[in-house]
Amino acid sequence: MGQFVQFAINGVMAGAIYALIAVGIVSVYKATKVVNFAHGYLIMFGAYFYFTFSVIIPNQPWAPEWLLSWQPDWLVAQKADLPMFSPMGAVLDWVSNLPRIVLGLTGALIANAIVGRIIERVLMRPLMGQSVFAMIMVTVGLISIMSGTASLIWTADAANVPFLSPSAPVKFEAFGTTIFLLGTDLVNMVLALLMFAAIVAFVKFTKGGIAIRATAEDQSTAYSMGISVPKVFSRAWVLASTTGAIAGAILATRNGISPSLGLFGFSVLAIVLMGGLDSYVGVLIAAMTVGVLEAMTQWKLGGSWAEIVPYVAVLIVLIWRPHGLMGQKEVERI
Amino acid sequence: MLNIENLHLSFGGIKALQGINFEAREGEITGVIGPNGAGKTSLFNVISGFYAPGQGRVSFGGRDITTMSPDKRAALGVARTFQNIALFRGMTVLDNIKLGGHTRLQTNVWQALRYFGAAQREELELRREIEERVIDFLEIDHIRKFPITMLPYGLQKRVELGRALAMRPKVLLLDEPVAGMNREETADMARFILDVQEQFGTTILLVEHDMHMVMDICSHIVVLNFGQQIASGTPAEVSKDPAVIEAYLGAAA
Amino acid sequence: MINANLKNSYAADERVLNNTYKQMFVYGMMIVLALFTFFANDYMILIASQMGILLIAVVGINILTGYTGLVSLGHGAFVAIGAYSVTIFANLAEGIIPAGVMPFFAMPFAVALAALIGVLVGLPSLRVKGLYLAVATLAANFIVIFLIEEDLFQPWTGGMVGLTTHAPNFFGWVLDTKREMFGMIAVIGFLALLAAQNLIRTRIGRAFIAIRDRDYSAEILGISLLRYKLTSFALSAAYCGLAGALLAYFFARILPEQFELTLSLNLVAALIIGGMGRSMGPVFGVIIVVLVPELIKVLFSSAVGGSASAAQFRAPLQEIAFGLLLVLFLLKEPLGINQIVDRILRAANRWPFARG
Repeated sequence: MGQFVQFAINGVMAGAIYALIAVGIVSVYKATKVVNFAHGYLIMFGAYFYFTFSVIIPNQPWAPEWLLSWQPDWLVAQKADLPMFSPMGAVLDWVSNLPRIVLGLTGALIANAIVGRIIERVLMRPLMGQSVFAMIMVTVGLISIMSGTASLIWTADAANVPFLSPSAPVKFEAFGTTIFLLGTDLVNMVLALLMFAAIVAFVKFTKGGIAIRATAEDQSTAYSMGISVPKVFSRAWVLASTTGAIAGAILATRNGISPSLGLFGFSVLAIVLMGGLDSYVGVLIAAMTVGVLEAMTQWKLGGSWAEIVPYVAVLIVLIWRPHGLMGQKEVERI
Repeated sequence: MLNIENLHLSFGGIKALQGINFEAREGEITGVIGPNGAGKTSLFNVISGFYAPGQGRVSFGGRDITTMSPDKRAALGVARTFQNIALFRGMTVLDNIKLGGHTRLQTNVWQALRYFGAAQREELELRREIEERVIDFLEIDHIRKFPITMLPYGLQKRVELGRALAMRPKVLLLDEPVAGMNREETADMARFILDVQEQFGTTILLVEHDMHMVMDICSHIVVLNFGQQIASGTPAEVSKDPAVIEAYLGAAA
Repeated sequence: MINANLKNSYAADERVLNNTYKQMFVYGMMIVLALFTFFANDYMILIASQMGILLIAVVGINILTGYTGLVSLGHGAFVAIGAYSVTIFANLAEGIIPAGVMPFFAMPFAVALAALIGVLVGLPSLRVKGLYLAVATLAANFIVIFLIEEDLFQPWTGGMVGLTTHAPNFFGWVLDTKREMFGMIAVIGFLALLAAQNLIRTRIGRAFIAIRDRDYSAEILGISLLRYKLTSFALSAAYCGLAGALLAYFFARILPEQFELTLSLNLVAALIIGGMGRSMGPVFGVIIVVLVPELIKVLFSSAVGGSASAAQFRAPLQEIAFGLLLVLFLLKEPLGINQIVDRILRAANRWPFARG
């Protein structure tokens, strides 16, 4: 039972990150009716940007020393009194990493937003009004372009990106076993869920969000009602790429950075379809379910089986409910 | 031939059809008229099998077809055209019409992959039949190799009629066959519909807004309003019916 | 150059090569291919064989996506099933079936198994359209590759290490050179292309196109969506299975990574670049998809020489070029090369009386 709790918590933490990634796919779909098959690669770019701004740049000879490791006098004094591996020590380590974490996140956000803008402007906008198939296939082509570009730019092995938050271990007892968590994972989960909620709130309540929903409903009507559809498109892509940057930074600290991060996007795509493309709630449920199921599979069947959990789950859900858990069926007029 | 008994259909709270009762008699042209939103197209969709009625029965030649899938109904001999032309835009006129013969052909996948032999015999026989029975009949031999997208609206409607004819239908459902046509095109289409009835003895059920045409060619007319059947009878009877006059011109008239 | 196109029988009008130009082109190509088999150098044979194998798979995708309008991003899985089943069948049946007739059993088995699994994967297509289907097939692709790599089946599939396939043996004639193998691929590829062309000029093919263009209208004509969608899936999977079997024979060594998503996307990209729903589309598409990376390889090595540090940029460049090609075609010529060729031929046919 204790182990069950441990794996369930791991699953929920993974599920929250899935949800954060999924939000990018759903937002772009809502606004533009395009399902971005390359979203995983956008996240990979986010991860690499985070690596660039938090590791490569601070390590340059011209970078100021405090950027790599901030050591003000009070910090050094505090550190000197602490025993090894104390939770306070982890917090202090984090504080001295803080400058490059902030630079990394800001850099990743801005750089990824620019990438998202470029993709929308150069590839998606010329296709406005074209068939959905063409737009989806463009994102498929984008997979190759982005994955190739990434391996051209980032040839060095990416390693040792700083955690977003102190990585002190958290331990507690449940059902007679010790549950062991990393503080940084908990913070990541909270961060992911908060961002998820913020985006849902943005789409539900703000004027910009309403424009997105109106465009989703009927592009040409929205256009004629004075909503600038191209602006909505680019806003959605920027939203997706910035959430992707945060998700990429989190994933970089969790699993390291490699070209396989892009493939991760496909399992999130499966989750999105499972939840029902245009439903944030459905996607959240699906993300959590898959996260927990994956953790359970890992526990019972071993790690390798976990990787196909999203795919098996999506097939089962699609046969049972063709439009996902909460998706809307489009009514066809004859 | 085609019997509609006490048909009810609703979408959520909206009652699209309430208690429709009539028969399309064999070899005759029956018209269904009514203002916009009266439920005419919904009625057609129930007859061809796209909507399942909440209550009531559709029977064809004495056989209950209420729950049958659209493709099976087609195999029985129910053909239809659509209000907003539903031709296959990626094909030529000839291929579109050939599709009408689909259910009569037997070719299986193996024969199709080989082509020579059974498939070829059948295809050539179909081609001959279509040329003689449909393309000549509808006077569209000059456009047989044209892609659908190159045709003007009136000709597209005619091709759609041709596709339905290639099914050798026992009953033909025509959903607004002359909508959006000018006088001359309307007259042409009316002539073709009458020719179909005369030459092939097909039972025809027709939804149309053009009153002149309906009154001219139908032997029996059913009037719908807000999903209810408010009158039925010969053109002369229906045109004098006070309920019909009210529905079309308003209570004050 | 305006030509008379006069025919005096329906049979003449229904032919695949219904004018002299098409006949001249196809018969000419057959002669060229025959000469090529005997006189081309080994490198050219290798490239052409790859094209032939890929062509068969893309013809299958064309049936499914081009004609029936069902999008699949997972057909690499069927190529894998074909490749693995032809090999595993031969391994298991060794000694039971004489080596000289083995291909006659192993290849149909591989094709049939691929078709069968195609029907299974196609099941969601009855309820979901377009995008959902694309993701469902993508999921199937991941699952199939995973199962091949999985330890549980390792005794049969060889896991990550892959399998070795014996050269096919037709009544004692062992195709142990790439040149002989190319001969076989060319013949099978030609027949596969012809069969697909036959298919679409009969009721089955018309039913596919009808479903693609307007599915409710197809139903009204008596076309059972269930039956034809599954038939289309089975046929396309069978074509991919056949391609897989040939691939296993040709390379003699199969690894799970050959059949991952990249292959599935390659197949669809080749179709889009060549022209969807057009008979020659797969041919044009495959030529481009195989030639362009080769061209980059040649240009690249002549530009930077053999330096190892520069060589690592080659694969990413090929990848980018591939993506750009697909995107460019979607943006500029969504109907593919076939459309460009048609336009040129039409202009040539009307010349000098009209242009375009």
